Amino acid sequence: MSGDKVRLNTEWLCDCGGCHVAIVDLHEKILQVVENIEIQKCPVLTDVKDYPEADVGILTGSIRTEHDRHAAEEMRKKCKTIIAFGTCAVYGGLHGAGLAHTSEEIMDYVYKTTPTTKTDFIPDSDITGLEHVVTPIDEVIDVDLYLPGCPPHAHFIFESLSALVEGRTPKAGQDTVCAGCKRTMKKTEVAEIVNSQDGIAEDDVCFLSQGYICLGSVTLDRCLAPCPNHGIMCTGCAGPTMQILSEPNHDIRTEVSERMARLTKIDKDTIISHMEKSAKTHYAYAMATKMIGNKPTFLIQQWIADVEAGK
Amino acid sequence: MSKTIKIDPVTRIEGHARILLDCDDAGNVNEANFCVNELRGFERILVGMEAVTMPQVTARICGVCPTAHHLVAAKALDNAAGVEPPPAAKLLREFMYMGHYIHSHSLSLFVLAGPDLVFGLDGNLATQNIVGMVEADPDLSKKGLRLRSLGQKINETIGGRGIHPVTAVAGGISFSLSDGQFKRLQELTGEAVELVSELAGKTKTLLFNLLDKNPVLLDKLNSESWYLGTVQGGKLNVYDGGLRAMDNSGATQPEFPATAYKDMMSERAVKNSYAKEVYLNMNGGEQMYRVGPLARINVADSMETPLAQQEFEKFKNDFGTPCHNAVLQMYAKLIELVYCCEKANEIINHPDLRGETRVPADFKGSRGIAHIEAPRGTLIHEYDIDDRGIIRAANMIIATQQNTAAINHSLKEGANNLLAETGDETLLNGLEFVVRCYDPCLACSTHAIGRMALDVEITRKGQTIRRVRRK
Repeated sequence: MSGDKVRLNTEWLCDCGGCHVAIVDLHEKILQVVENIEIQKCPVLTDVKDYPEADVGILTGSIRTEHDRHAAEEMRKKCKTIIAFGTCAVYGGLHGAGLAHTSEEIMDYVYKTTPTTKTDFIPDSDITGLEHVVTPIDEVIDVDLYLPGCPPHAHFIFESLSALVEGRTPKAGQDTVCAGCKRTMKKTEVAEIVNSQDGIAEDDVCFLSQGYICLGSVTLDRCLAPCPNHGIMCTGCAGPTMQILSEPNHDIRTEVSERMARLTKIDKDTIISHMEKSAKTHYAYAMATKMIGNKPTFLIQQWIADVEAGK
Repeated sequence: MSKTIKIDPVTRIEGHARILLDCDDAGNVNEANFCVNELRGFERILVGMEAVTMPQVTARICGVCPTAHHLVAAKALDNAAGVEPPPAAKLLREFMYMGHYIHSHSLSLFVLAGPDLVFGLDGNLATQNIVGMVEADPDLSKKGLRLRSLGQKINETIGGRGIHPVTAVAGGISFSLSDGQFKRLQELTGEAVELVSELAGKTKTLLFNLLDKNPVLLDKLNSESWYLGTVQGGKLNVYDGGLRAMDNSGATQPEFPATAYKDMMSERAVKNSYAKEVYLNMNGGEQMYRVGPLARINVADSMETPLAQQEFEKFKNDFGTPCHNAVLQMYAKLIELVYCCEKANEIINHPDLRGETRVPADFKGSRGIAHIEAPRGTLIHEYDIDDRGIIRAANMIIATQQNTAAINHSLKEGANNLLAETGDETLLNGLEFVVRCYDPCLACSTHAIGRMALDVEITRKGQTIRRVRRK
């Protein structure tokens, strides 16, 4: 055990495991990282069973069960710096969309409603209890650094780990996904929103200009824009920009609609209404965070309930 | 039921789980349960989302096999729209998938199971991990890790991203390869083919050494079950084909399409786990079955590529059909790894690869069902889509879930053999090994890769009489 290496613990709460694979996906660069970092506890890689004292703790995933809450608290006690790593840790992540439903509703659906399930009960004995909602980790413990992304691109992971080794603050740009997008924004005569299944967009023109809803302009770049550069609209997986998080009256739909209305002939309110009707899609990754959930403009549970009721 | 042994949680598998053993007074295991502690409830969460985002959204079910969910979602949307993607799109999807398989099988063989192969089951825990393995056998470890990287890079070049790819859409693939991307894929594929032929022999030797040293594994892990896998013209296929089941004596059943899955499969909740068990409705009853590499090798008549076919023949010759031994899952995985590298090399040289990649696909007001072979076994998605393109109902049958019943059965057998003969540490390692042979991925069936505290609790009539902890 070398004295000058940065001691690292990682732990995995309620998530898909992709953030841990993302660290392995530093590929050749992982060797550079391992030179300067002593990996202590890390699911997958090591057999360390408890939580040793560490300089840096990476937490991926959100809080879904009592086990997750306990693990987050133990990590906080033992690690000097805690990084909330990945969109689930920072904002709750995709399963934060469970916010729109009670645990009971989810359990009923999974264990009683799905067509292939022949039993009619919910597992109850001897397993960790599900908490009522999905919680981003900073609502449970103090977090020192945030690295959203689903998962964050290797570029940002390497920069943040290098910075911690060198004892400096990581360079974290505030660019949106648009910064890395090769498409050109231009004014068009497009008069209606186009659903992706109803058309195939041109390759080099901004999706908004063509009438497709793309969240690139309201999403923090922690991905280097692979979606719009491969013909896919941004779905906001790294979570919203600082502007949206910090301004009470700005949110994803107000920002996108303003920008899109300027680029096209589509009316702003039409766009807002369209986005409310597919709120579960557009707010999927970040709806569990209070930074979004407590906005005065925010009625997501109502919008989702309306859609499900067929309104 | 007077004694309960808990192992909590099993480590070096993808997930949060533990083992519960219920024993009688004589110490025999009555019932073994592999318990899954997490649930995210995706089937419910998907309801109300735009169907068009399903390939991206469902990838997030699992960071270990995102490409399986990504592609099966796109296939389900094709099915709902009633379209066939153009030949180039099918090739690109399958190519992306070969990259993913190379990554996933290498991760499983070299990172997760690798330490057992290199150090054996009684190795020193402090070094029984990939870091220790790199020191003990740098050549195997580095080449294994390199192969994983190559697979992930192939996946990323075609999928836009390695983890949670984005380019498979209803009707095809959302972009066409540039010359630069094509050249990169040629290089990655070429290197993968070279590496896998070096690694295959060595890995096989290590596996057989392990079996020689632990004959109990080969003798006692032969729980019989049915098998389910996918074949195309009788050949093993992981991207598309008919679903073929085999009974425990080796008789194959008529192939069926994914669209018939509701008649063919039953899910059952169990009391102490969030993961449901799945049974095949065949021969007038509910049959316990397995999916994954061993199941696929069992149900297939042959392999599509030459090196994989050679290994396949050796496997069949040595272990017969069906091979019930869970430990040989690793050998089966190795054969598939060889196949995927060879298949990727075939696709990169296919004349149709650079053609048109997408056709229009309108899936509104329709229902889509599709399946794919995820690295760990058959995966089925079904969506009910309304007139606005919103998901109204969703159902999924996940690979690991289908193995739950068989895992429990193998654990019971393994525990009964290990309990009497061995000390705590060997028991713990042995049971973990049994579970890892099935390579369960709990991110999929509900959640989490884990190697954490191992905790055995033995109770008699509700009272703890002994507790063993491994730190």
